[in-house]
Amino acid sequence: MRRLPPQPDELIDRTRPLTFTFDGASVSAFEGDTIASALLAAGQHVLSRSFKYHRPRGEICGCGQCANSLVQVGDAPGVRACGHAVQSGMPVVHQNAWPSLRFDAMSVTDRIGGLLTPVGFYYKTFIRPRRLWPLYEQALRKAAGLGRLPRSRAERQWRTEYRRRHCDVLVIGGGIAGLSAALAAAERGADVVLCDEGPQLGGSLLWEGGAARVRQLAARAEQAGVELLSGASALGYFDGLVAIWQGDVLHQVRARTHIAATGAIEQPFVFPENDLPGVMLASGARRLAELYALAPGERAVVACISDSGLNSALALKAKGIQIAAVADLRTDALRRPAAIALASAGVEVLPGAAVVRAAGKGHLEEVMLAAVTPDGRAREAAQRIECDLLATSAGMMPSGSLLLQAGGQARYEPALHRFMPTVLPDGVHAAGSICGYEDVDAAELSGQIAGLQASAGSASAGTGTGTESLELRALRERLESHSAEPLTPAPAYTRDGRRGGKAFVDLDEDVTVKDMALAVKEGYDVIELAKRYTTVTMGPSQGRFSAQGSARLLGELTAVPLEEVGLTTARPPWVSVPLGVLAGRPFEPAKRSALHAEHRRLGASIRWAGDWRRAYDYGDPDGEALAVHTRAGLIDVSTLGKLIVRGPEAGELLDRLYPNVISTLQPGRIRYGVLLSDSGRITDDGTVCRLDEETFYVTTTSTGATAVEQWFSWWLADWRLQAHITDVTQGVAAMNLAGPNARMVLAKIADFDVGPESFRYLDARQGQVAGIECLLLRIGFVGELGYEIHCPGPNAGQLWAALLQAGADLGVRPFGLEPQRILRLQKQHILVGQDTDSESTPYSASMQWVVKLDKSHDFIGRWALEDAAQREPQSMLVGFTVPSGEVPTEGAVVLAEPGGAVVGQVTSARRSAQLEQSIGMAWVPPGAAFDGARITISDGQRTLEALITTKPFYDPDGAALRS
Amino acid sequence: MRDLFRTRRMWRPRSELKRSYEVVIIGGGAHGLATAYYLQKMGITDVAVLEKGYIGSGAAGRNTTILRSNYKTPEGARFYDASLKLYDQLAVELSFNLLFSKCGHLTLAHSDRAMFVMANRAEVNRLNRIDSRLIGPEEIKQLAPAMSLSPDATYPVMGALYHPPGGIIRHDAVVWGFARGADEGGVEIHPGTEVTGMQRDGDRITAVQTTRGTVAAGTVLSATAGWSSLTAAMAGVALPITTHILQACVTEPVKPLLDVVIVSSQMHVYISQSDRGEFVMGAEIEPWTTYRMLNTLNFLQELARHTLELFPQLEHARMLRAWAGLCDISPDYSPILGATELSNFHISAGWGTYGFKAAPIVGKTLAELIATGRTPDLIAPFALERFYTDSLVSELAAAAVSH
Repeated sequence: MRRLPPQPDELIDRTRPLTFTFDGASVSAFEGDTIASALLAAGQHVLSRSFKYHRPRGEICGCGQCANSLVQVGDAPGVRACGHAVQSGMPVVHQNAWPSLRFDAMSVTDRIGGLLTPVGFYYKTFIRPRRLWPLYEQALRKAAGLGRLPRSRAERQWRTEYRRRHCDVLVIGGGIAGLSAALAAAERGADVVLCDEGPQLGGSLLWEGGAARVRQLAARAEQAGVELLSGASALGYFDGLVAIWQGDVLHQVRARTHIAATGAIEQPFVFPENDLPGVMLASGARRLAELYALAPGERAVVACISDSGLNSALALKAKGIQIAAVADLRTDALRRPAAIALASAGVEVLPGAAVVRAAGKGHLEEVMLAAVTPDGRAREAAQRIECDLLATSAGMMPSGSLLLQAGGQARYEPALHRFMPTVLPDGVHAAGSICGYEDVDAAELSGQIAGLQASAGSASAGTGTGTESLELRALRERLESHSAEPLTPAPAYTRDGRRGGKAFVDLDEDVTVKDMALAVKEGYDVIELAKRYTTVTMGPSQGRFSAQGSARLLGELTAVPLEEVGLTTARPPWVSVPLGVLAGRPFEPAKRSALHAEHRRLGASIRWAGDWRRAYDYGDPDGEALAVHTRAGLIDVSTLGKLIVRGPEAGELLDRLYPNVISTLQPGRIRYGVLLSDSGRITDDGTVCRLDEETFYVTTTSTGATAVEQWFSWWLADWRLQAHITDVTQGVAAMNLAGPNARMVLAKIADFDVGPESFRYLDARQGQVAGIECLLLRIGFVGELGYEIHCPGPNAGQLWAALLQAGADLGVRPFGLEPQRILRLQKQHILVGQDTDSESTPYSASMQWVVKLDKSHDFIGRWALEDAAQREPQSMLVGFTVPSGEVPTEGAVVLAEPGGAVVGQVTSARRSAQLEQSIGMAWVPPGAAFDGARITISDGQRTLEALITTKPFYDPDGAALRS
Repeated sequence: MRDLFRTRRMWRPRSELKRSYEVVIIGGGAHGLATAYYLQKMGITDVAVLEKGYIGSGAAGRNTTILRSNYKTPEGARFYDASLKLYDQLAVELSFNLLFSKCGHLTLAHSDRAMFVMANRAEVNRLNRIDSRLIGPEEIKQLAPAMSLSPDATYPVMGALYHPPGGIIRHDAVVWGFARGADEGGVEIHPGTEVTGMQRDGDRITAVQTTRGTVAAGTVLSATAGWSSLTAAMAGVALPITTHILQACVTEPVKPLLDVVIVSSQMHVYISQSDRGEFVMGAEIEPWTTYRMLNTLNFLQELARHTLELFPQLEHARMLRAWAGLCDISPDYSPILGATELSNFHISAGWGTYGFKAAPIVGKTLAELIATGRTPDLIAPFALERFYTDSLVSELAAAAVSH
């Protein structure tokens, strides 16, 4: 296409030329060009190849709405060439054609396509022989897809951001209706945000001769304080939250009221060969001419159903483009002022006529025009007219997706020949052509009305409702004086009756009229089924140019009124959006304890444990475990969940949450407890320590901390007890000093008596250790004399160092998670989530001692446990040893007998250096849950014999623990 | 192939409702239509399938089409394996290509705990002769070279449960194939027919009320997925079910670069690439209960973020369409299948996120139950009664997000 002389409203800056590449060749452009306008100016008329038939496709909409203009830019596929600004050096390549856009080998499917590849052909073929299907599938797969993504990539490269914004009024759409709505609301004090997907605010007036008017309106809106976002597409309406994509930013706007001024989309005619490059929407042709100073053709034909098309013909003529003919479907078209103007300019207007065929080799060369019946058949021999541009205008479809997502409803309005929004949800208003106000003044009025209504509905805006309702009434009266322009509904399909040529209902998916007819004949005769079968409306343009047309065609094919055919469900996103934009900045915080640096310094191998990074071992797990038995070890257990439960009814709260009694605990004493679900299943475990009459210090598992805090808070809210829960997990560090020498180490640096009589097993003490205020719990998860020392996070490093230093001559060494797992397994102390699962009760987990059914309180899970106590569990958790010394994989299964049924599973297994044995825990049938029972473990290719041990493997009587 | 050159209807146009049917099936989805199909194969043809929308408009048309049988419990593994075997033969049997792509299924493990669960599942599967094994990062890399296996990832991939026979199938085709088969055998399919109530006499349902009139029924089967507790309530049967939404989305098609199904429980994402080139993604059910099938922005954002953790190159892939469907979740994440306390009211419910995988075997076993009055062994563990006897079949660890 040639460039026109400078146009008054053009967006290109001719003083700033630039170059980019298309398929490797250099292309010149101006700043302000889109990729497509630059390519068209350079003579590249074919922008893409179609999805199925690989037919050449050219520009249609001129605004980034259709799938014809999809190109690849660098790593980004699916870029809308006619909506995307070109930049210097941009590497643009074509999609979906091989070896080149010009010669596409796959276009052979177009020639043989009609016969062998009708819609749904793949359902009917390649069924037998079954073994060949994978080969066919591979071939289909090779042909699949449009653009390309990099084969692999180590990490994300695109930096995107979220922005959150609250406001009174959000206006979606920056045409004259949206701008006047925003201005009206802002002038009444509302905090207004307006977004528009175009590169400039102004909507269709930018290329319909009203650019100055809308630019002035935009300037006034900005002065009135409206936040204006251009190049910003609203993606969806999510219960009042609207997501807007603007470049690298995803705005998340929550407004009190919304105004949908999203406009309407011009619709194409459906006729044989309607996809030839050169067949364009009239609005698309005008956009190219006005905004990018391109001659969309040299000799044009216009086909339309209303004045809007006639106006386009006049506008194109004014650009110096020859108008060969205008086919206006209205039989009385000649009476329209625009038709008279055209006639006086020497342009032939054919009333009652439509385009019934296009032809050309690779590009439009001629069209056939004829008077047609209401169902689209040519009444007469068609008139052949040579042209290189066909500008079509077959009515409008409101962009109602966001309104419908918000809960609005649409109904077919025969007079307007379109589905119109009818019921609007609360707090949502609509203005402009989405409501059928195509006339500029009417659109502006409807915008002002919506702006007034929206500002009245938002609290922070000035009120004065009395005067405003008068103002509103006056505006409404003026609006009602505008009437919609007359039109004749376009048939679903116009044709000359000759054979040959594909008529596309949906260009994205290459769905033809014939495909839809076949679908209906086969029984897919409601719109949703037809959609699923033919994939009509499911392509990248989301049905913008096919939803209304396919519904109309289905209505004609099934003789069902359009109102009953309906539209398919509106779903987000309205504009297909890159995942990188939705994802925002990568943000997966890792939790690290206050001692993390110490572990790194000591050479720990760090691993994930839930959300935490933890010291797995310090290079010698067996040695670390042995040190705890023989001397002492120190482990960082800061990851434990820690809650302070305080208040006069704190004890009551805990009594209801735990199956044992907590309220009888003496201050300074500790009790172990499990937490249960309503169905009596173990969900977490930990210790409860009473600090004083009203204060309890609760620890939970590391992974369960958040869930337990939520669980407690939820029940507290339900029961309304006088207690308060504070989660101190992150602020409080903890370390466990354990081993026979632990007391001696502690005695060196504690400021209180740690002797066995004054600091007994299950005692808690508050005091200073190495000058740091600490809470010490004498408990023994690892099975040796031990002290769990809790201190403020910031002091943890100091305390850790002091304990290691004090213990240097007593053999203290740090130990990690892995040795701790060995040590606790020796004691058969369970790990919730490892040894138990969603079906484990305290009874089946052999922890019946933790349940006090005789306590007077009701507690969570009580009814279920009362029931469980009556029956034998399906399986029981027990310990086992493997005489052969082999260690089964955790997750190996227990068999009833060698080769028999699966009756259980191994949950934990380790080799214990201390015991010189292979030990583990497993779920087994109750009949095998006794000391000395033999079980068979199946582990991949191994079958292992094991012996049940129900008591702890190490120190079964707890002498070491209590020493 | 011959269907390529002739046009024939898939099913007859909807007829008038008769006054009475031997069997009334509520729900024209994959389960309802499969049951109707197997019933007519067993000679029971006086069957009406009542569907409130169009066939396949519920869960059958909203799932993400993944098939697999590598379940955690022996009961589940056996059951889904039988389903997978039926699926394997189904295209030939129905003479309709269901586009079953046996591309393999990888469940990723990012933690010791996950490795334990995978090892357990692999062993249960192996003993049930299901092709399923634990593999390491090297083999994962060969199967999914597009995936980032960086050890610096937030959740590095430690291993995966590899299930070669798993894959994806065209969900709508399954619905249509069963519908055609059932229709050919004489079953009546009634779209646009909503059940509004039931008439009960003692322990029997005598008739079903619909928006198109009342029909008497010899046996009633409820196969209504997300609405199952509501349908059962019409019969006076209480189900221990909560209904949640599950959301999913699809991208614009790009050239294939992922040939296996990837599932990560810890990352809350599963992803596959269809034969059209679209990436299909989903995650977990929402924790709250609802019947509103609307997407949430938060979900789409999280899903995108987690997808990009595994596939950073998808940052420029464009999400084209998102949707939501209903999931009826039972307490143990296993289905509730077969007889109820009523003598002629059966259910297929509690399907959570795994109902589509089971459609053929559900149809076959329920048809057998209806025809013979006996519960087939394969589905006996899934009886509603188990919640009264506390003999649950816990798939919790394997079912959550494991599509």
